[in-house]
Amino acid sequence: MGWIAEHVESIKSMKIRDTLSQLITLGMIVSTALIIWKALMCLTGSESPVVVVLSGSMEPGFKRGDILFLHMSEAPFRAGEIVVYNVEGKPIPIVHRVIEVHEQENSGKVDILTKGDANPVDDRSLYAYGQNWLKPQQIMGRAVGFVPYAGWVTIIMTEKPIIKYMLVGALDSAGETYLLF
Amino acid sequence: MDWQGQKQAELWMQILLLVFSVGALATGYIIGSFRMMMLIYAGGVFFTTLVTVPNWPFFNRHPLKWLDPSEAEKHPKPQKAVVSKDKKKSSKK
Amino acid sequence: MHSFGYRANAVLTFALTILALMCAIASFSDNFNFPSPSAEIQIVGFNGFKKKPHGNDEVSLTMNITADLQSLFTWNTKQFICSDKLGFGCPMTIWNPFFFVFVAAEYETPQNSLNQVSLWDAIILAKEHAKFWIQTKNKYRFVDQGSNLRGKDFNLTLHWHVMPKTGKMFADKLVMSGFRIPEEHSV
Repeated sequence: MGWIAEHVESIKSMKIRDTLSQLITLGMIVSTALIIWKALMCLTGSESPVVVVLSGSMEPGFKRGDILFLHMSEAPFRAGEIVVYNVEGKPIPIVHRVIEVHEQENSGKVDILTKGDANPVDDRSLYAYGQNWLKPQQIMGRAVGFVPYAGWVTIIMTEKPIIKYMLVGALDSAGETYLLF
Repeated sequence: MDWQGQKQAELWMQILLLVFSVGALATGYIIGSFRMMMLIYAGGVFFTTLVTVPNWPFFNRHPLKWLDPSEAEKHPKPQKAVVSKDKKKSSKK
Repeated sequence: MHSFGYRANAVLTFALTILALMCAIASFSDNFNFPSPSAEIQIVGFNGFKKKPHGNDEVSLTMNITADLQSLFTWNTKQFICSDKLGFGCPMTIWNPFFFVFVAAEYETPQNSLNQVSLWDAIILAKEHAKFWIQTKNKYRFVDQGSNLRGKDFNLTLHWHVMPKTGKMFADKLVMSGFRIPEEHSV
C-alpha cells in the first residue's frame, strides 16, 4: 500500500510541476512579445510601430489585412510619403499618402494634406470639422516596410474574440516549440 | 518512432526545408518570379511533411532492447530503497 | 519529436521561420537593382491663373510628361489583380506589377520655405506602360497659401513609389527646374 501511495504522490507532484512549467512557458511567450514590442517602439520612435491596414482606400498598394511597419524620425514630411495619422474624435488611425506640404521656416509650422490612392478626392472631409490641414503632431509615423496578409490574424482575433482564446490555448500546448525556434 | 528515428526525423526536416528554401530562392531570383519561389517552397514543405511527420517504418529500425524478464530473475532483487530511486530516475528521463 | 502532432508543429514552425527569412532575403535583393530612370516634363501652356475670392492664387496648366521607368521593376515588385471597380484602366493580363508615380510642383514663397503641391498622379500597371508619354492638365488643384505665384519660378518633380511584395518600400524622384508662372492673372 505504501508503494502505491508513493506512486500517487509522485504523479500528483508531476502534474503540479507540469502545470507550473506550462504557466511559465505562457509567461515567457507573453513577455517575449512585450520585449519585442517595446524594443520596436524604441528603435522606430513610433508609438505603435506595427499597424494593420483595415480599409481599401490605399488599393492597390495596401489591402485590408496587410501589416505596415512605421518609422518616426526627425526628418520633415514630404509629398509622396505614406503616413499614418490620427484624427481628433476618431478611434482608428488612417494610412494615406501626403500630397501637399506647406512649410514655414521661422515658425516651424507645417501644413500637410493627404489623400488615399484609391480615393477620388483629398482627405479634407476626413479631418476634424473646420480643419483644412493636417498637423505633424497628428502623424504617428511613416510606413517604411510591408508584409502582406499577416494582419488577418489580428483582424480575425479582434472581430471574433473566441478565436483568440483558442489560439492562446494552442500556443500554450505548443509553447516550447515556438520558443525553441 | 524510436529514439534514433526521432533524431533522424528532426535532422531530415531541417535539411530538407533548408535545401528547398535555398533552391526556391535561387530559382525565383534567376527567372525573376516570386510566385515560382513560393510554389517551389510550398512543394518543399509538403514533401518534408510527408517524409518526416508520419511514422514511417524506416524511423523504427532501432527498437529499444528491454531486458528479458527471465534474465532479470536470475539476478538477486536489490534493496527496496534502491529500486524506488531507480524508478524516479527513469521516470525523469 | 515523439508524436505526430509534435512533429507537424515542428515542421510548421521551422517552415514559417524559413519563409520569413526568404522574404527578408528577397527584399534585400532589391538593393542590387540599380535603376536608371529618365523623365522629362514640358509645360505646354497655362490655361488659367486667377486669384480666388479669399485671396489664394490658383494656376491651371497643361504639361507633357515623358518618362522611362521600366528599370524600376524587380522580381519583388508588388502585383495585383486588376479589377474595373477600382477604375485604373487595367490592361488585360491578370497579375500586374505596378507602382505609383506623381508630379509635384515645388517652390519657395516669402511665407513658406517649402511648398509641395501634387499636380498629377498615376498607377503604372505594367512594364510596357512604364515607358510613357502623356499630355495632361493638372489633376489636382494648384493653389498657393496666399498670393505669391505671379512670376514665380518653380520645380516640377517626378516622384515614384514602388511597393514590394514584402519588405522595404522604396521611393525616389527626379527634379526638373526652370519653370515660371506668368506675371499677370489671366482672369
